[in-house]
Amino acid sequence: MSSTAKARGGRVGLAVFLAIAVFPASGGLLYALLYSLGGVGLLSRGWTLQAWIRVLTGSEFWRSLLFSSTVAAEVVLISVALGLSLALSLGERLQRTLGTLLHVPLTVPNVVAAFLTFQLLAGAGLMSRVAVRVGAIPDTARFPSLVQEPWGIGIVLAHVLLATPFLVLLFAALARSERVSAFVELASTLGANHTQTLRRVVLPLLLRQALPSLVLLFIAILGSYDIPLLLGVQSPQMLSVLVVRKNGIYDLAQKPEAYSVAILYSVFTLLLLLRVIPLQGRRREAS
Amino acid sequence: MKRAERHRAPATTLVALFAVLPIVYLALLSVTRTGAPPRVLPAEWRLDAWRFLLSGRGEMLRSLWVSLALSAAVALSSAPLGFVAARYVAFHRHRRLLLFFAYMPFVLSPVILGTCMLFFYIRAGLSGSLAGVFLAQTVFTFGFSIVFFLSFWNREKLDLEDLVATLGGTRPQFYRLVLLPISRDALRTGMFQIFLLSWFQYGLTILIGEGGVRTLPVLVYAHVAEANPLFAAAAGMLLVLPPLALLAMTRRPPLGSL
Repeated sequence: MSSTAKARGGRVGLAVFLAIAVFPASGGLLYALLYSLGGVGLLSRGWTLQAWIRVLTGSEFWRSLLFSSTVAAEVVLISVALGLSLALSLGERLQRTLGTLLHVPLTVPNVVAAFLTFQLLAGAGLMSRVAVRVGAIPDTARFPSLVQEPWGIGIVLAHVLLATPFLVLLFAALARSERVSAFVELASTLGANHTQTLRRVVLPLLLRQALPSLVLLFIAILGSYDIPLLLGVQSPQMLSVLVVRKNGIYDLAQKPEAYSVAILYSVFTLLLLLRVIPLQGRRREAS
Repeated sequence: MKRAERHRAPATTLVALFAVLPIVYLALLSVTRTGAPPRVLPAEWRLDAWRFLLSGRGEMLRSLWVSLALSAAVALSSAPLGFVAARYVAFHRHRRLLLFFAYMPFVLSPVILGTCMLFFYIRAGLSGSLAGVFLAQTVFTFGFSIVFFLSFWNREKLDLEDLVATLGGTRPQFYRLVLLPISRDALRTGMFQIFLLSWFQYGLTILIGEGGVRTLPVLVYAHVAEANPLFAAAAGMLLVLPPLALLAMTRRPPLGSL
């Protein structure tokens, strides 16, 4: 295939691929690495590991990484639980109007989801007003802080709002393509009860097939910016917000640190990607 | 699956509400003023934001045009380029390695990758300009474009090409008479999804555009920052309406799987 590929794929494909996919991203990452090591940049005074030492020995990066990973893991877990329950309980109804309806939340961009979550969960937001009206709290000041607080509750909720419809549709499509109902019937004929069928047949089948998409979802949330920018706090910050803040502030000495964090984030993400690509290849071959 | 049957009615209601309520709430926020707490229902109807938009005053209408032009340009460039590059990747013997590079701009956070590349945009005099944002978004969506079109390029397409050659057809004839008709649907869907990726993009636009390129997402955030929920919601509705309209027309998913 390789000689055929060379002949057919052509130089145009290669040129386009290198010019748009490879060079800009690799060049940007290389520049960031060089800047973080003092090799380039306005304040460059020669090669140094100072920025890296500051980032790796300080607590800010680690807290940010932990916070971002926790938020991403929470979103994936909650959305998977909701997505699976809804996809399995709704079954073939998702192929009709309900399925089309479920595409509606996918038209909501991150920035709008963040705005709506803020309007809903902020101190004087709709939820706090309803809570006062139903007598759950005496006044809106007593409403627990759900946005712009250090646990990232609002960030998680906004992401769950966006990810769940996508996962319901994904699991429903996988259940059809993997013929889950036939396996469920077979398991039941062989004497398995509902819990056994769910635990040993349905969940392994669906989760194994959905794994590449779930890892990509984790990566997307790990690097999300719009939602944490509005719903997050100064500390801890999601990684993207931290990088942009460190790169943008007036203290130029912070720039190498911003690039160090960017490189660390990229390495972490690309290592995850290395795990996803073989999984996707296997899925494609299987299908 | 009797248990599933029992849960079906509440689950259906839950999904229907979950799907529709955010849009209804956004629409309400764009035409009402919230009273002082603990008032739950809107204090008054306000059509200021929509009047502003229709009269052409303010920057909402301009942002709409900027967003439309930018996203259309990104879709029109990124989709065909990704289509061509996907062919190269699909049949390459180091497909997985190339796929890794294709995924790179797509999976790395757009703002983090944008931060790393900002220097080049500044040096090229492209930061703060629409052209710069267009270029940055094209790089970002190109990876998605390759991944999207990869499944299109399979053994069947190669066999078709061979068949045309065997029957005496030339390469341009293959492209014009065979490839274009069979790829039209895929190209249209890919283009629309790339349009949406660009349409929704905030971080990269604000970073490379330095706040000067006022697309709708940038405007939504600006109105939120100045505590103007009425205008933020109206700009948000403008962002949501085109994909909603397309969904209503085609009944197809507006976004591709990750």
